[in-house]
Amino acid sequence: MKLSHLMSAATLALATTTSAWSAEDSSDPIVIPIHNWSSQIVMSNVVGQMFEMMGNNVEYVTTDSQAVYESVRLGDVTLELEVWEGAFGASFRTALEKGGLHDAGDHNAVTREDWWYPMWTKDACPGLPDWKALNDCAHLFATAETGDQGLFLDGPVDWLKHGKERAEALGLNYVVKNAGSAAALWAHIGAAEADKKPVLVFNWTPNFAEAVWPGEFVEFPAWEDGCDTDPAKGPIPDKLYDCGNPADGYLKKAAWDGMKDKWPNAYEVLTKISFTNAQIAEMARLVDIEDYEPEEAAEIWLEENEEIWKGWMPGGAT
Amino acid sequence: MSTDQPVISCRNIWKLFGPDPRAYLAAMTPGRSYDEIRADGYIAGVKDVTVDVARGEMLVIMGLSGSGKSTLVRCLSRLHDITGGTIEVEGQDIMALAEKDLIELRRSKMGMVFQSFGLLPHRTVLDNVAFPLEMRGQDKHARRARAMEVIELVGLGGREEYFPRELSGGQQQRVGIARSLAIEPDIWFLDEPFSALDPLIRREMQDEFLRLQGMLGKTIVFITHDFDEALRLADRIAIMKDGAIEQCDTPDRIVLDPQTEYVRKFTEDIDKARVVHAGTLLTPVNGHAVDGPPVAAHETIQKLARQLVNDERAHLPVADKSGKVIGVIERQKALDVLLGGA
Amino acid sequence: MADIATTALPSQPSSPPRDRVLQVLLVAAVVLTALKPVLPDMLIRLPEAWIPPFAAWLDAFFEFIKGDPATGRFGLMTLTRWFAEGPLDFLLGFTANLLEGKYRWPFLSDPIPWSAVAVVGAVLGYYLGGWKMALLAGGTFVWTAAMGQWEITMETLSVLAVAAPLGFLIGLVMGIAAWKWKAFDTAIKPALAVMQTLPFYTYLLPAVIFFKVGPTAGAIATTIYATPPMILMTALGLKKVSPEIIEAGKMSGCTRWQMLTKVYIPSARTEILVGVNQVIMLSLAMVVLTAFIGMPGLGGKLLAMMNSFKLGRSFEIGVTIVLVAIMLDQMSKAWVHKLPQHHEKGTLWYIRHKYLLAGVVGFVFFFVLAQFVEYFNEVGRRQSLSMGREIDDVIKGFLNIDAVQATTGFIRYILNVWVLVPFRDALLWVPTPAFILFMIAFAYALGGKRPAIYAGVFFGLVALTGWWDRAIITLYSVISAVFISTLIGIPLGIFAARSEKWANRILLVCDTAQTFPSFIYLLPAIMLFGITDTTVVLSIVIFTTVPLTRYTIEGLRAVPIEMSEAADMSGCTRWQKLTSVQLPLAMPTLAIGFNQAIMFAFFMVIIAAFIGTQDLGQELQRTLAGTDLGKNFVLGINVSLMALTFDLAIMSWANRRRKALGLA
Repeated sequence: MKLSHLMSAATLALATTTSAWSAEDSSDPIVIPIHNWSSQIVMSNVVGQMFEMMGNNVEYVTTDSQAVYESVRLGDVTLELEVWEGAFGASFRTALEKGGLHDAGDHNAVTREDWWYPMWTKDACPGLPDWKALNDCAHLFATAETGDQGLFLDGPVDWLKHGKERAEALGLNYVVKNAGSAAALWAHIGAAEADKKPVLVFNWTPNFAEAVWPGEFVEFPAWEDGCDTDPAKGPIPDKLYDCGNPADGYLKKAAWDGMKDKWPNAYEVLTKISFTNAQIAEMARLVDIEDYEPEEAAEIWLEENEEIWKGWMPGGAT
Repeated sequence: MSTDQPVISCRNIWKLFGPDPRAYLAAMTPGRSYDEIRADGYIAGVKDVTVDVARGEMLVIMGLSGSGKSTLVRCLSRLHDITGGTIEVEGQDIMALAEKDLIELRRSKMGMVFQSFGLLPHRTVLDNVAFPLEMRGQDKHARRARAMEVIELVGLGGREEYFPRELSGGQQQRVGIARSLAIEPDIWFLDEPFSALDPLIRREMQDEFLRLQGMLGKTIVFITHDFDEALRLADRIAIMKDGAIEQCDTPDRIVLDPQTEYVRKFTEDIDKARVVHAGTLLTPVNGHAVDGPPVAAHETIQKLARQLVNDERAHLPVADKSGKVIGVIERQKALDVLLGGA
Repeated sequence: MADIATTALPSQPSSPPRDRVLQVLLVAAVVLTALKPVLPDMLIRLPEAWIPPFAAWLDAFFEFIKGDPATGRFGLMTLTRWFAEGPLDFLLGFTANLLEGKYRWPFLSDPIPWSAVAVVGAVLGYYLGGWKMALLAGGTFVWTAAMGQWEITMETLSVLAVAAPLGFLIGLVMGIAAWKWKAFDTAIKPALAVMQTLPFYTYLLPAVIFFKVGPTAGAIATTIYATPPMILMTALGLKKVSPEIIEAGKMSGCTRWQMLTKVYIPSARTEILVGVNQVIMLSLAMVVLTAFIGMPGLGGKLLAMMNSFKLGRSFEIGVTIVLVAIMLDQMSKAWVHKLPQHHEKGTLWYIRHKYLLAGVVGFVFFFVLAQFVEYFNEVGRRQSLSMGREIDDVIKGFLNIDAVQATTGFIRYILNVWVLVPFRDALLWVPTPAFILFMIAFAYALGGKRPAIYAGVFFGLVALTGWWDRAIITLYSVISAVFISTLIGIPLGIFAARSEKWANRILLVCDTAQTFPSFIYLLPAIMLFGITDTTVVLSIVIFTTVPLTRYTIEGLRAVPIEMSEAADMSGCTRWQKLTSVQLPLAMPTLAIGFNQAIMFAFFMVIIAAFIGTQDLGQELQRTLAGTDLGKNFVLGINVSLMALTFDLAIMSWANRRRKALGLA
C-alpha cells in the first residue's frame, strides 16, 4: 500500500500535466519484460512508471533475456528496453527477420563486452591492460586443472563470445572455459576477491560489477568490421577473431509492431527514451549498492532526474 | 402374488470365474466336478444351486471359507451377475432388470449387512444410516428422522454424531444393521455379520438379532461359517461346499440325518439335544396312551431332559403351543438324542 | 544365519542360460572396446550422415499442430492461447488481485494485509495440527513479511493458487479415467514415465509458445510438472477402496455417479490427499525454474539476486521457499491425518464452528488494524529485518577460512585430476556399440530380458539423435554423483536408523535439503571448487544423497522386529545383524532410493548447466534462447531415455527381490 500511496501522490502532483497528455492509448496493460540483472529491472520500472503517469496500465513479466524476443514478436510482451549488441544481437536479428518486432532506436549508452579483470590483478601483472602482457602472466591465472596455462572464464556458450578462437588466433597460452551463467562469473570473481588472486573473466559494461569490483577490460587489437568473417582484417593476416570486441556496441530498444497503433503515445515516448551509461549505472547502484527494491529505486531515480525524463514525455521539450 | 410363493427362488444357478465363463458353461458337459472345472481354468463360485427362501423365513447359508457362500448371497442381490440359471425375487427375474430397475429394487426392497461393516469412514453414524435414504433422494428431515428411529432400534441412541472409527466393532456392526434396515427392506441379506466380533460380543449380537427379527419378521438370508451360529438362528440351513449346496434342511434334520459325509463331520461334535426339538421326533399317536403331562413340541430335547429322565412312560404325548396333543415321541429315542447314544 | 540376499530365488532355475547371456554380452562389449584402435570409424561413433534429422522433423510436426495465429490457420495454439488468455488469465488475475494487487477483477485497490493472511494461516494451522502447526504457519508468514519478501511471496503463491488446484483437478479426472478404463491406464503409463524423467527445460519452451510468456506459462509448466503423481495416487486410492464399502454403496441403491462421488472418492480420501501433497510439493519445486519463463515472485527475485552476486539475499529467499514448502507440506499432511471429530449433542454453534469463527475474527481484526498501522499492512524494504549483507559476509568469511580452502582445494585437485576427468575420458573413449552393449548387460543383469531390450533400444536411439558425446558426459556426471552419494548416504542412513531420534533429525535435514532451491548452493560451490566437474558433481551429490539416506532409513526401519530379534537370539553381533539380516531385507527399499537418486541426478545435472558443463543441459539451455522446439525436444528425450533405462532395470530388480523376500 505504501508504494501505491507514493505512486498516487506522484500522479496527483502531475495531475495538471496528465490531463494535457490524455491520449487514445488502449487501456490494456503494456507488458514490460524484466530480466535478471538490476539495471534492466530498474530501467523497466522507470519507463513503466512513466507510462503509468501517462495513464497507461503496465504489467511486468519476468522472462529469459534471450527468449524474450520471440515473445515481443508475438505481442505477448510489448517492448524490450535493453537490446545488447553483443549478447542479444543474434536473437534480436533472428526475431527481426521473422517479423513482428522492430528497432525502436538506440540508447545514448554504449556497451562493451570483453575480457576483463578486477583491479587487484594488475598488481600481479603490471603489463595489463595490454593484451601482450597476458602470456607472461599466464602462470598467475593457472588452476589445478589447467597446468601451467592460464584460465580465462568466458561467458556462457550461448552468448557466442568466441573466446577460444581469439586465444588461438592471438597465440595466447590460455585455457578458455565457458561459465554456465552470469552468476557463475561473479562467483568466480568473488572466490578470488579475499586473497586478491588474479582472475581473467568475461565482463561487460554497463554492469553492476563495475561498482562492486573496479576493474578494466584487456585492450586487444581494436575491432575492425569483418574481423569475425575476413581473415585479412585484424593484425594477424590469416586468422579470424584476432581483434577485441567493439568498444562501443549499441544498446537498443525494441518494440512489438502492434505497439505503435495500440498505444501510440507510449510508443512515441519509447522512441524518445535514451539513457546514458552514467544513468544506467546510477540505476544499478540504487539497487545493488543501496539495496533499494527496483520499484523504489525507479521512484527515486525519477524524482532526482525530472529534467531528463520530462523531456521525453508528450508535450515535453524534445 | 400369493403368500406361499417363495420370496427368492433360485433355479440351477451358476457363477463361474475365468476368461469366458458363459461360453464355457454353455459348452460344458453336465456333472463336471469342481476340480475338473478348476483344471479347465475356471473357478466355480456357485455350482448348480437350486434353493427357495420363503416369506418370513431365515435361511442360513453355512460353509467354510471358499465354499461359495458369500458368492451365492452376492448373486442373490445381483452384486455378481450369474453365469447360468435364474433367480427370481418376488416373481421377477432379477437378471433381466435394467440398471435403473435394479437400483430401484435395492432402494426399496433389499438391505445388506457386511462382515467388515462397510461403513463410510467420512460420515457420522447418522449419515451412514441415512445413506440409502439419501441415495433415493429423500429429503433431509425425513431421512434423519427415519435414521434416528433405526439407530434407537439397534440401541445406539446418543451416538449418532460419532464417526465409525470412534465406535467399537460391535457398535459399528449395529450401525451396519441400522443402515440395512433404514429403507424397511423386505429381504435382508447378512454376510457373516458377527464373524469379525469377539465371541462374547458375538453372542450378545445374536441375541439382539433374534430380538429384532422377532419384531420385524423379515425374509432373511444369513451367511456364516460358524455352525453353532447357524443352528442357533436358522429356520433352515444350507450347507455349502465347493460352490454347491450339500444339504438344505432344518437344523434338527441336519443334526439327526446328515445326508453327506461332509455334513456329518460338522454334526459330529454337536450336542444334538440342544438342537433337536420334541416336535421333530414326533410320531402319530397310533393308540398310545396320551394322558398325563405332555412335553412341548417347540422345546429342545435338552430343555426337556429332566422330564424325559424322570417320566417312565415309553411314549410321551407331545403338545403344541395351544396345549393340544399332536402326537407322541418314543422316550428311548429322545434319550438317545440326549445322551448321544444313537 | 543364512545370508538371505544370496539364497537362491525360486525364480532362478533358469539361471545358467541367464549367466551365459550375460557373459556373451560382456565379452562382446569388452572385445569391441579393446579393438577400438583397429575399428572402422563407423563403429566408434555413428557417422554424421546416418543421423536422421529428428529435430527438423519434430519442428515440422510442431509447426503443423501449432497452427498459425498470424494467418488464422486453426491449430492447437488457437485453443491453448484461448485458454491462456481467457479463463487462465482471469483466474491468475483474480488471485493476484487478492494477494498482491493488480488491475483485474475484483479490482481491489489494495492487496489483503499480510497480518490478516498470517492470522488465518495460524488458525488453520492450529485446527490442523495444534500449536506447533499454528506457529509454523503463522511464523512463516511473519518471517516473509518481516524479511520484506511479502509481495514476491504472494506473487508466487497467487500463481500456485491457480496451478496447484488445476493440477489437482486434471490429476483427479485423469486418475479416475485411468482407474475406470484399463486402456487409458496402459496408454498414459509410458507418457507419465517420460514426463517424469523429461528435463524441465523441455517443458518451458512449449509452455511459452503455447501459453504466452508470464504467469500463464509459469502456471501451465508447474501444472504439467506436478500432475503425474496426482493421477497415480488417485487411481491407486480408488483401486484400494474396500470391496465391502463398494457393495454397501451398491446395496444402498447408488447410481454410478453417486457411487463415484459419494462412495469411491470420499473413501479414497487418504490417497487423494497424499496426491494433493505431492502436487503442492512439486509445484514449489518449480518456483525457481519457471522464473525463466515469466513466473513472477520468489524465483525471479532469486535469479536476479544471484546475478548480482547477492548471496545473503538469495539465501533468505531460499529460506522463505523452504519455510513455505515445509509449512504447506506439514499442513497438507496433517490434513491427510485429520479425522473428523464429533461434537456432543447440544454443542453451541459458536463452539462447533470455533475455528472458522476465530479465523474470521482474526482476519477482520488485522484487516482493520492494518488500515491504521501501516506496519501490519506492508513492511517496507527499509523496515525489514533482512540481513543480506551480514549473511554475505558470513558466507564469504567462511569460504575464506584457510582450512576450508585448503580442504576444498585438495578435494578439487584429487577429484578432478585423478578421478573425474580420467573417468569421463574413459567413458568417452568407449566406442558407441560397446557402450550400448555394456548398458544392455547391466540392464540384463539387474532386471532381465525386458529391461535389457529397452536399454538397447533407448541407448540406440540416443546414438541415433547424434548427441552421443554430450549424452555420455551427462551420464558420467550422473554416475559419478550417485556413486559418491552412495558412499555418503548409505552409511549416514545406517547410522541414523540406529535411533529414532537421529532418524527423525536426519529425515528433517533431508526434507530441508530437498526443498532448498538448488540454485542457491551453486554459487558457494563454485566459489569453493571453481568452474569444474567437481562442482557439478558435488552439487548433484547434495541432491542425490537425500533419497539414498531417506530410503536407507526407511528400509532398515521396516525390517520386521521379529527378524531383528531372531538375529539377536542367534547371537549376531551388530555388524553381522546389519550385513546378514537388516541390509538384505532393506535392499528392495534401498533400490528404490537408489533409483530415485539416479532420477534426481538426471534432474539436477541439467540445472548444473548453470555452473558450466559440456553436456545435454548446456545445449538445452541454449535452445531456450530461440524457438528450437524440435532440438529442445530431442535433447530432452535423450535425458529421458537414459533415465528410463535405469528406472526400468532397477525397479524390475527391486520388484523381483521384494517378491522373493515375500515383502510384496
